[in-house]
Amino acid sequence: MTTQLAVDAVGVTKAFGQVRAVDDVTIQVAPGEVYGVLGPNGAGKTTFLRMLFGLIRPDAGTIRVFDKSWDSDGVGVLDGVAGFIESPGFYPYLTGRQNLEGLALLDGGARPGLVEEVLEVVDLTDRADRKVGGYSYGMRQRLGVAASLLREPRLLVLDEPANGLDPAGIRDMRALVKRLAASGLTVLLSSHNMDEVEEICDNVTIMNRGGVAYHGSITDLRAMAPDPGHLLDTNDNAGARALAADHPGIEVERAEDGLTVVGQEAADGLTVVGQEAAVAAYVADVVRSGIVLRVFTPTRTPLEALFFMLTDQEVAA
Amino acid sequence: MRRSIITAAVVLLVLAGLGSVAVATGGGSTVTSARLERSLTASFSQVYSQQARLLGHRGVTPASLHAKAMCDNGGSNVGPGSSWNCLMSFHDPSNPMPTTGYGKFELNVHSNDCYTAGSPSTLVGFQTITDKQGRTVNNPAYEFDACFDPGSSNEPTGVTFPSALTITTTALTPDPQGRATVAALCGTGADGCVGSIEVTTHGKKLGSVPFHLAENETAKLTLPQLPPGTKEADLAVTYQQGVGSSGTTLPVQG
Amino acid sequence: MTATSTLPTTAPVKAGTPGRPGLGATIRWELRKLRAQHRTKAVLLGALLGPVPIALVIHAQGRPPKDTLFGRYATTNGFALSLLILGFAAQWVLPLLIAVVAGDIFSSEDTHGTWKTVLTRSASRAQLFTAKTVTAVGFAVLTLLVLSASTIASSVLVGGHQALTGLGGQLIAPSTALKLVGASWLTTIPPTIGFACLAILLSVWSRSSAVGIAAPVVIGMVMQLVGAMGGVEALRPFLLTTPYEAWHGLLSAPRFTGPLVEGLLTTGAWAAVTLAVSFALLRRRDITGG
Ligand SMILES: Nc1ncnc2c1ncn2[C@@H]1O[C@H](COP(=O)(O)OP(=O)(O)O)[C@@H](O)[C@H]1O
Ligand SMILES: [Mg+2]
Repeated sequence: MTTQLAVDAVGVTKAFGQVRAVDDVTIQVAPGEVYGVLGPNGAGKTTFLRMLFGLIRPDAGTIRVFDKSWDSDGVGVLDGVAGFIESPGFYPYLTGRQNLEGLALLDGGARPGLVEEVLEVVDLTDRADRKVGGYSYGMRQRLGVAASLLREPRLLVLDEPANGLDPAGIRDMRALVKRLAASGLTVLLSSHNMDEVEEICDNVTIMNRGGVAYHGSITDLRAMAPDPGHLLDTNDNAGARALAADHPGIEVERAEDGLTVVGQEAADGLTVVGQEAAVAAYVADVVRSGIVLRVFTPTRTPLEALFFMLTDQEVAA
Repeated sequence: MRRSIITAAVVLLVLAGLGSVAVATGGGSTVTSARLERSLTASFSQVYSQQARLLGHRGVTPASLHAKAMCDNGGSNVGPGSSWNCLMSFHDPSNPMPTTGYGKFELNVHSNDCYTAGSPSTLVGFQTITDKQGRTVNNPAYEFDACFDPGSSNEPTGVTFPSALTITTTALTPDPQGRATVAALCGTGADGCVGSIEVTTHGKKLGSVPFHLAENETAKLTLPQLPPGTKEADLAVTYQQGVGSSGTTLPVQG
Repeated sequence: MTATSTLPTTAPVKAGTPGRPGLGATIRWELRKLRAQHRTKAVLLGALLGPVPIALVIHAQGRPPKDTLFGRYATTNGFALSLLILGFAAQWVLPLLIAVVAGDIFSSEDTHGTWKTVLTRSASRAQLFTAKTVTAVGFAVLTLLVLSASTIASSVLVGGHQALTGLGGQLIAPSTALKLVGASWLTTIPPTIGFACLAILLSVWSRSSAVGIAAPVVIGMVMQLVGAMGGVEALRPFLLTTPYEAWHGLLSAPRFTGPLVEGLLTTGAWAAVTLAVSFALLRRRDITGG
């Protein structure tokens, strides 16, 4: 017996007029896996997830979830699936708890105590009796997670859950998703942020302009990644650059305009690209030669660099 | 965008379809003279009996009135409007019909098969009446609302009343040759007004003028030459069709 | 939230399959939402209290409003007063009261961006459609019943319960008149349901509550106008406003019910077509917004 896939989407295509929002995308998620769909804005992530939920119909391709499909099982395809698309929508004139209790009715009822439990999980217990109309964006996002957990899902689908949150909110949301993922739930997470996906996902599909730009494990992706880059600024950049001749494993060039680091505008320095050890040896050489180091900082993670390359985005620090 | 175009097209199609239904059936009104005649006699009999009860007149029931009506809107006799007139006769020993034999009721008929009828005050009195206890009360027969069944019989009732001829001129004004005209109106009724007017001055017959008017028609009839110095003229009317007064005496001016 | 989390290290909540909701549960959810909205209460309160000042004001008129059916006796007879109000209510008050809920029940999901919320639970679109339709139609009928009872009660209290002159000139005894007035109000149930279905269609199609609420009122008034026009009476049987006048037959002599039966067919056809189109629109719709 072959293992049943949590998500088995093959050749899924959807066009809005001239725009092919999703173009022949195949994504397969095994049970228990934490899967990332990564892509810049407009890549087609949301459109793909909407099709998974049956909110829109694919023009072509098939989507099976736990071996069920819309064509043969109707809404039954959503048994065991929960999540939200973009920012979750709630009824502003109802309280958080009323929203959850009402949605539970649409699930055929929730077992006693479950509403309290999920409110606790997302830390909304003490705000649960306020009208959602007065909730902050982050609170609504968390209520969205609670509403999903209410279905006691086997597969949790989250569409850029950290999008639009402030830094503290992003941190909290990532921590929550990580804990949920660690609990054994199958998670399908979309994001435009490599960090987020790298931290928690096993496998990833990188989408770009509707198509698939990369497909595989994070481990394989790391192997493909270019060397990490650094910004170096000294009191003698020409001298420092000359020393690079002794270090064949690294590349040192004048930094282009616009390269900025914290606390310094448009640093007029050098970019150093190479493996950690080789870069460390080179920097040690520079220091030893009496040159004074002003700035030495990593500019991008290798995966981020790769992600930008794969999706033809302008490489920014 | 596409949605609104499709919607606009659907709305236009529906409107066109309904429009052509309306045109194809040529109005298709349920308001007809036959239905009004049946309905008006029934509803008038009811309100007239109510009035009789208020006045303390005994023996007046809807059935005893034997009301008969003939309705006409001065045109196709189909469709709502405020130009409907109905001639109605009924039998109440204490309230005989005028010489024409009927009273004229004015109807405002609506497309929903309801109408407001205004009765001739010569037959039913005014807005308020004094009841048998001496109180001033509303006259139920003066004006009343009624509705008829659009599914009721549309067979002609066969009731006709003759048109009434009215001479509307109140004085004769002869020209230098002694020629004068009288205006005559032939009212609502069947077959119009046909007959002649015989003119006599100071006991001397001057001759007669024939008339032939359709229903709802007015005409100016030129009288025979009046001798100079005539003070007044007697007009005697004889009818082959239509009814009206048998004659009148008009002063001559100038 | 990180500090207070009590998430267990294994599954946060026992993984299971959510059940399928029954229609009853789906309707209960719609009713809960309805109950929490101020406009619902405003409509019911308006239907309950509105007739009182209206009855008082009409009753106090020096000249009776003779140009409307039963207006002639509206200042002297409570039954006539309630029937005058019925004729007036059917012109735009009823479509408006109905549309406040029926014209909003679908588009409010668009307004709040909650289609994706409810459609990612275990209820099918057909089930949600049925629940919303049943709720909207039920609310429309409830509103009508409240308005009827309140109008008849306040009219009879204000105007008295003398014998009523019917639409055949006949005098109707008070006890019969009360029954006929009640029945007359009840005959507006079918067109009221028809208007609720029209409001549903407009709400589903436009995805806007403003259209869903205002358009049925405007369409109702246009239909009134067309229905009152001479020369196009062939259209009357197709209009949703014609059945609002079918009660005339109950107060005529002899009584006739042809228009009632025809009205039932008309509203049945309107309801069937508007609901079928609404459901087709909703079923095929791609939920891309919200
Ligand atoms: N309802 C729609 N109508 C037209 N184009 C759309 C619609 N929804 C999405 N698109 C287009 O489809 C593409 C993919 O969008 P989306 O799935 O939202 O991307 P992502 O979620 O990855 O940011 C974009 O080019 C977007 O403009
Ligand atoms: Mg998106």
